[in-house]
Amino acid sequence: MTTILETRSLCYSYGDGTKALNDVCISLQEGKKVALVGPNGAGKSTLMLMFNGILRPSQGEVLFRGRPMSYDSASLRSIRRAVGMVFQNSDDQLFAPTVFQDVAFGPTNLGYAAEKVKRYVGFALQYVGLFGYERRPPHHLSGGEKKRVAIAGILAMEPEVIILDEPTSNLDPASSEEIMEMLDELNYGGKTLIISTHDVDLAYRWADEVILMKGGGVVRRGTGQEVFGDAELIKDARLKLPLVVDLYQELAGRGIARGSEPPKNILELCDLLQPEAKTGTWGKIYICNVDLADGKQILAMLEEIPACFRGAMGTSAKALAEKYGISIDFTYGVIDKCILKALLGKNSIIMTSGGMVDHTMQRIKDYGQESGTKIEAICLVQSTENLK
Amino acid sequence: MHDLLDDYAHSSALRETSPRLKLLLGLGAMLLCVASPALIAPLLIAVTMSLVTVMLAKISGRFYSKLLLIPFSFSILSAAVVAFMHGGGDQLFAVNVFGIDLGMREDGANLALLLIARTFGGMCSLFFIALTTPMIEIFSVLKSLGLPDFLVELSMLMYRYIFVFLDQAAMIHSAQVMRLGDAGAKNSLNSFALLCSVLFLSSWEQGERLIVAMDSRCYDGKLDLMDQAAGAKPGAILAVAVYLAAATAIAVLTRDVLLL
Repeated sequence: MTTILETRSLCYSYGDGTKALNDVCISLQEGKKVALVGPNGAGKSTLMLMFNGILRPSQGEVLFRGRPMSYDSASLRSIRRAVGMVFQNSDDQLFAPTVFQDVAFGPTNLGYAAEKVKRYVGFALQYVGLFGYERRPPHHLSGGEKKRVAIAGILAMEPEVIILDEPTSNLDPASSEEIMEMLDELNYGGKTLIISTHDVDLAYRWADEVILMKGGGVVRRGTGQEVFGDAELIKDARLKLPLVVDLYQELAGRGIARGSEPPKNILELCDLLQPEAKTGTWGKIYICNVDLADGKQILAMLEEIPACFRGAMGTSAKALAEKYGISIDFTYGVIDKCILKALLGKNSIIMTSGGMVDHTMQRIKDYGQESGTKIEAICLVQSTENLK
Repeated sequence: MHDLLDDYAHSSALRETSPRLKLLLGLGAMLLCVASPALIAPLLIAVTMSLVTVMLAKISGRFYSKLLLIPFSFSILSAAVVAFMHGGGDQLFAVNVFGIDLGMREDGANLALLLIARTFGGMCSLFFIALTTPMIEIFSVLKSLGLPDFLVELSMLMYRYIFVFLDQAAMIHSAQVMRLGDAGAKNSLNSFALLCSVLFLSSWEQGERLIVAMDSRCYDGKLDLMDQAAGAKPGAILAVAVYLAAATAIAVLTRDVLLL
């Protein structure tokens, strides 16, 4: 696994001498989902601004793909293209009077021809599910839509790393879950993601690696279980335990749950509490690739299949469901929810776009191997590979 | 939250019509109103422009009539002054106010009526532009007319941030009202001064954040413009040409017509 971003004894002081970062040494692996957590003023935002060269370290250095960052304008351009940053407040980021102009800003400044700019903008807006919003002004968009436009503006520059400062703050729960799911999709497509957040539940279940910061330094790095398993450390950092961990610790203290480490999510917690689910009564999970079927075919399929629950994953699946008036039970955490239902003996169907079909199959298969259950995952529309 | 003409323009039924054509129609009608020596043409323009705005652009009639109250109030006031102050012609009537004879003469009355007609004609044309053409479209027309890029780009940024600061100002104002900042004239004045200074500082900060935002997306001196809306349809061009020609002809033919 290659290291994509690295900092070596990074220090930063603001003009008045306050130390914002103190000897930060971390290395981030390519293709990982990283969450920076910590109290206010821990230096999360400062560290993020170092990653794309907006702030210059007072001491130490930042390395991108093993090369120390230099701060002349040509190097800065290439680093800012490779490391995109989404700000906490979308109004800071969306400065153009229309959605199109805003998303086109990056590509235009990279010197692309008008035709190419248009294509990239179209692609980026399609990806975030806002195709057709080109002519809208940002002040007519909801918070979630603004965040999507901000992400589209970054995607249009084809970054390798995307940094998001508090991506879910000020969003309603459904919008923030949709944003996080979109980030998962991006990560599955190979992007390295770094977010900062105060939402410990989010950091715990979403991130591959959690970096706990406090007072300008890194206190602990590791998986969510490693970092949040230490209640004392979490309390010192003015954070709280994720609900799943808190519940697990209470249950473990009562001897109800047994396990070497806290469960990562509700699915694992359920498994921990009820390890011997009855065999033979599992439900099936159908997976429907919305890229390869049109709405009518999908409606016909939904009629045929004895599925009780429907989940939609990804922007295109959700858009399709809305277009054809298909009611959806799960719009986020879909795979886990469907596995949970399958364990209860209920069938479910997951609608998703082509890229995520294999990922979904793999996830269900992995779960089956880990837990020893045999949940059948059936692909309804052939995956792209099979068609070729 | 706010009732802005620009928002209506975004939802108008003529949103997708060529902005150049809409500007041509609005500005042409406006110039005709100002140039017309008699009041028939401006009145006609006021009526037709209102009809176009309400019927074709589908702007709610109730909102539109409320909007017309603005020119109505100031044109009546100024027309009254003009009517009484202008001499010449037969005296129509006179009133005695506190021992001073205030008389209205023919010329004054005619001029006042012309003033009202022109104001309405001009305002209806202006409202037509404002209610059918969002600012962003006007920017692209300005750019294609050869206005320097930096001016267009600056105005686009200013336009975008008007809404951000409008929200901020509204928020600060509510925060002040909540703590009785508007109790009494002195307090109101004080609160207003505070609001202005806070808004100035925050616009400064916003400017700095804007630079960071632009830099982090490789700003290289280029701000893209929305690609032009579809060109005007031949039918629409013809209709506008016929309308403007007819209005001009009416203005010329009725140049000597006086109501009184």
